[in-house]
Amino acid sequence: MKQKRLIIRSIILVVMFAAIGYTLISHFTEDRGRVDRDDIAPNFAVVDTEGNLLELADLEGKGVYVNFWATWCSVCRDKMEHLKNNYDDYRDKGVVIVAINSGEGSTVIQRHMERFQYNYPLYIDRGNLVGNAYGVMEIPVAFLIDENGVVLDREIGPKSEEKVIQSLERLIPGN
Amino acid sequence: MEKVKCDCGHVNPYGTYLCESCGKPQMEDNQTLVDMRYEGVARRSQTYRKTFIDKIWNFFSSVKVGIWIIVLLLIASAIGTIFPQEMYLPPGERAAIYYEQEYGILGKLYFQLGLHNMYSSWWYLLLIASLGVSLVICSLDRVVPLHRALKTQRVKRHTSFLNRQRLFSKSDDVIETAEEDIQKAEKALREKKYKIYKEDGNLLAEKYRFSRWGPYVNHVGLIIFLVGCMLRFFPAMYIDENIWIREGEEVVIRGTDGEYFLRNDQFIVEYYDEEDERFRDSFERTGGQPVVETYQTSATLLKKVDTGTVGVGTELEEVKQYDIRVNDPLTFEGFSLYQVDYKLNELAEFTFTIESNLDDYNGDLSNISFEVDLYNPEMVYELDGGYRVEIFQYFPNFYINNRGEPDTRNRIPDNPRFIFEVFSPEVDHEEERGELSLVGVQINEPLVDEGEVNDYSIRMIDVDMNHVTALTVRRDRTLPILFVGGTIFMIGLIQGSYWHHRRIWLQNRKGVIWVAGHANKNWHGLKKDIEFIIEGTSIPMPEDQTDESNMIEEIEGVKGNDDATTK
Repeated sequence: MKQKRLIIRSIILVVMFAAIGYTLISHFTEDRGRVDRDDIAPNFAVVDTEGNLLELADLEGKGVYVNFWATWCSVCRDKMEHLKNNYDDYRDKGVVIVAINSGEGSTVIQRHMERFQYNYPLYIDRGNLVGNAYGVMEIPVAFLIDENGVVLDREIGPKSEEKVIQSLERLIPGN
Repeated sequence: MEKVKCDCGHVNPYGTYLCESCGKPQMEDNQTLVDMRYEGVARRSQTYRKTFIDKIWNFFSSVKVGIWIIVLLLIASAIGTIFPQEMYLPPGERAAIYYEQEYGILGKLYFQLGLHNMYSSWWYLLLIASLGVSLVICSLDRVVPLHRALKTQRVKRHTSFLNRQRLFSKSDDVIETAEEDIQKAEKALREKKYKIYKEDGNLLAEKYRFSRWGPYVNHVGLIIFLVGCMLRFFPAMYIDENIWIREGEEVVIRGTDGEYFLRNDQFIVEYYDEEDERFRDSFERTGGQPVVETYQTSATLLKKVDTGTVGVGTELEEVKQYDIRVNDPLTFEGFSLYQVDYKLNELAEFTFTIESNLDDYNGDLSNISFEVDLYNPEMVYELDGGYRVEIFQYFPNFYINNRGEPDTRNRIPDNPRFIFEVFSPEVDHEEERGELSLVGVQINEPLVDEGEVNDYSIRMIDVDMNHVTALTVRRDRTLPILFVGGTIFMIGLIQGSYWHHRRIWLQNRKGVIWVAGHANKNWHGLKKDIEFIIEGTSIPMPEDQTDESNMIEEIEGVKGNDDATTK
């Protein structure tokens, strides 16, 4: 009788605490992004400031560092500089940097390119279509996509050059 | 913990106050009346205190703890209303600065204690959760033994149970007609719709027992309601987002995973007519401020055509058009878009013209103008007469950043500045540089070496404003759950408030008639019932033992709550 009562009480308490715990944890931990680790990266097509079309599917076999940024975001700018410093090295190792601007007009992006002299193309995402599909809520955010099109990681916020190099290193095909 | 065996032979659990079977008090309490709460059964929390689980259980089973939780919740909820919560701050305000600036030291403290976001703080949520746990355990701990006690109650009760009921009397002598009297009373009781249980010529009449379950039904409703509220933390169940859309703009509808977009075709605001006689008094009260009569967003809902690829070539197909007004939302697939706010006159487009600073200039520039979209300016404007203006730099929300460079805060043109490069017809724009100047609202500076001037300057001649609408995106799948919870809550409340459990015991003890009555509320009604059934018999009218003079019957209906009522 006592044994049975203890079991019933334990079950009721465990169920209630589990439900409450799950709710609180899911409330206070960072939400999983619409596209996040281990997801298949949704295919996208963007044009750069020169009008060249790029489709993610065409980059199969290469590591892809997709970085969402904007000209008005000053912490993005540091990251863009880090990418500039390492673009050539990693291009040769099979890593592509895809810098997608968040919803700004082409004039602004073009002028930004001229001002900061990036050695990699800047892609335009009018209407934030790609950003929305990837669930971009804040910038900068980078998606590390491996040679098979699987998202290795989603990196939110500013990153030091060291961290950026680490991420690029992970993207080298075969690593 | 030993079980308690009553004289009648029934074995009661430890902690029993009144024998479950015959009702004989098992503990001496020196009171004239027995305490009928929970029928005197042992509440389980009081009986087992051994294991860790039992300790937790006992803690939450205490009504005292439950009431403390409610008090703390009330105090916390009240504190949360002293200053506005963070989500109600005016757009663009930073909480870290706003509270101190607006409310001084108290405001700063409010912010530092995290009270600006109180209703989603971990400790507030834990309080709500403990209220839920307390509700479940308190109810279970009481309803199970109470149910068993009412189900197993015997007709024949111990004399010390009967004579310590609030309504009690017995005939002074042996009554010859005792049996017939009880039969008569039984008939009258049946007339009054009592349920009759008989044992050895003794009788128990009972009605409205179901009202005893009222508080527990009510708690079940409350628990369902709380579960519904808890589910609101999951986006699949509940979405509440805001979107701002400029006229002509297409914006993704948050919470739809990038599937749906909304275009603001037109936004209108209408004001009450200040000239109208009928509104004169009202306008005096507002101090002549215009009063909005209605505002409306004519919107088009768009759905992304799924081709497997997003970006260039993505097509949006129109789903429907709707005029969204306050309380008249656009709805689709469980989502509702409500009109909540607007911002008028946001800069949208500038019109510029060129002027010559040359003394000997004899051309005509008055017809030359160009319009610049502040959200998506062109790189180059080719103008009549061979003039060419390039946008050298554009800062929609200009400021000088901490490196001392011109920069923009965001892409909203609240303080737009352009650096224009002007090429006159004589200048080859591929070979040579044009004249640079910085142009913004009330700003027009040539970017030249000291002492020099530009031959041409660019002047703003017109501004086009845009209205921005704010909509709330809401999807609430918890509403049916809340509705069910609320309905059950009300059923429990009604069940426990409009009916009252009444019991009458009639016992024939060797010709002496014992009468006792118990009600968990409304004793007056019970007395009237007893008066009715003893009419024409020699059964004595029971006396109210709480009141010698029997004078204050009227107010007694509110006393004597037996079981847990709504918390």
